[in-house]
Amino acid sequence: MIDISHVSKTFHPRAGRRGTQPVTALDDVNLTIGDNEFVTLIGPSGCGKTTLLRMVAGLTSVDEGLIRVDGKVVRGPSPDRAMVFQAFALMPWASVLRNVAFGLELRGTPKREREELARDLVRKVGLAGFEKSLPAELSGGMRQRVGIARALAVNPSVLLMDEPFGALDEQTKRMMQEELLRIWEMERKTVIFVTHSIDEAILLADRCVLMSARPGRIHEIETIHLPRPRSRADETSAEFIETKARLWDHLRSLQLAEEPKRVGV
Amino acid sequence: MSVGPDTAMSELGLKPAIEGRPTSVPSAPVLLPDSRGQRWASLAVRVCTADGFYNLVSLVGGLLLWEIIARVFERPYLPAFTSVVDRLWELIRSGEILGDLSRSVQNLGLGFAFAAVLGVVVGTLMGRYAVIEKMLDPYVYALMTAPTVVFTPVYFSIFGLQRWAIVALIVQYSIFVIIVNTVTAVKTVDRELVEMASVFGAREHQRITKIVLPAALPLIMAGMRLGMGRAVKGMINGELLIAVVGLGATSEGFARAFDAEGVFAVLLVVVFVALAATKLVELVDRKVNAWLPNSQR
Repeated sequence: MIDISHVSKTFHPRAGRRGTQPVTALDDVNLTIGDNEFVTLIGPSGCGKTTLLRMVAGLTSVDEGLIRVDGKVVRGPSPDRAMVFQAFALMPWASVLRNVAFGLELRGTPKREREELARDLVRKVGLAGFEKSLPAELSGGMRQRVGIARALAVNPSVLLMDEPFGALDEQTKRMMQEELLRIWEMERKTVIFVTHSIDEAILLADRCVLMSARPGRIHEIETIHLPRPRSRADETSAEFIETKARLWDHLRSLQLAEEPKRVGV
Repeated sequence: MSVGPDTAMSELGLKPAIEGRPTSVPSAPVLLPDSRGQRWASLAVRVCTADGFYNLVSLVGGLLLWEIIARVFERPYLPAFTSVVDRLWELIRSGEILGDLSRSVQNLGLGFAFAAVLGVVVGTLMGRYAVIEKMLDPYVYALMTAPTVVFTPVYFSIFGLQRWAIVALIVQYSIFVIIVNTVTAVKTVDRELVEMASVFGAREHQRITKIVLPAALPLIMAGMRLGMGRAVKGMINGELLIAVVGLGATSEGFARAFDAEGVFAVLLVVVFVALAATKLVELVDRKVNAWLPNSQR
């Protein structure tokens, strides 16, 4: 279980730089995420959704408040909270297999054991036959499959995904969403998934968290009632379309609330 | 050879031209050998487009120019290329130069090995920790720009008339380009890769050995190439000034005896050593950075 309570974060401009003011990225954010729940974070840019994710990962410090994962306060990164990066973050000099096994390598798992496990995951994400390839030899979608396999390899309790399909083209993105649904059915994890796409946010999530910007706050939480396992076909269901309309309304009201402020400044 | 990190950057194709150096001209079109003329034409095309063809043309041209200038002006200190080659052959046959060569190469190897290891260690520490960089930066740049020859007496007085004085000079000649390149290399490592390692549980020493160093290796090796060029210079200067062993000492002896052919013969050997040494570094570079796509070399 992830418990985010009263979390705030302010970024201060570097000393000596004029014309910039401290930015309140997050202001009193509260969110509880259950075990094996899939939560998507969505909102306009600058709403702090990536900051929140990085805080759960332990990559960004918390100014105020606390984040607890399974009762333990987050003080730094841990493989128990594995991450999937937007730009993949694969080691370009290492084979697919070694990239996938990297977390286990750091842990000191014997080579044969970790490669066996990695081979299994490479197959699960649909990359069998590419074990020895270098990242540069793979397409964007395939690279992110490696990123997902690497995260699953350390058997984390939480999977953090930072716009993982943001760098992919539309077709590949859609395919990867279905892939992720398929993989998640096999390996249920608690997932926090940051995205820009409303469709993606609805299709994947148990709950969709809509955040507002300046300062970053939680604006609305939508529970998605689509039955699982899901597929693309669910996008035409009444539930999907209604949820999408509601989320759009919320987003629009956020925009409207913000418009006068922008003009005024 | 003796230029700073900028050259190293461009050697990697990182800065000015991202597309990197042009690869060799594509192989000649296949022609059906239906006539003799065509076959010759096709052979000519193939020769002209072969790797290194233009290097060869330029080399032959340069040597020819040397020969002509020397023969036309006939100055005592400018021997013709052919007479230098004659003298070289003599020195090789008498075994004189081979002993020198091996001693010089040993000095070079020792000095460069020290410089490479120490340079990468210091450079990595400076690139990764701002405090260390701030503390060492003035020394590195001061010593890099200072004329190294000035330090010869210092090493001479510390190590005496021994090999170690030359080795120390070689280290000083070559280490700073290696340090400066390593610092840049370590600083430009993709931050997200280091963060990734942290997320998956890497400790600092693991982040350095498993992420920072492999990612920085292409630029580090570019520094090694420059460093090797400077190490050869250091070797010659050391042997000339400290003059105990090796090619430098022999060349000094020839100069005192007004044996210009001898001096140039040794110079040819030195150039050969320099080319072979940099080629060796290049081969190691290709081996350890085999993962780099050709466009980034």
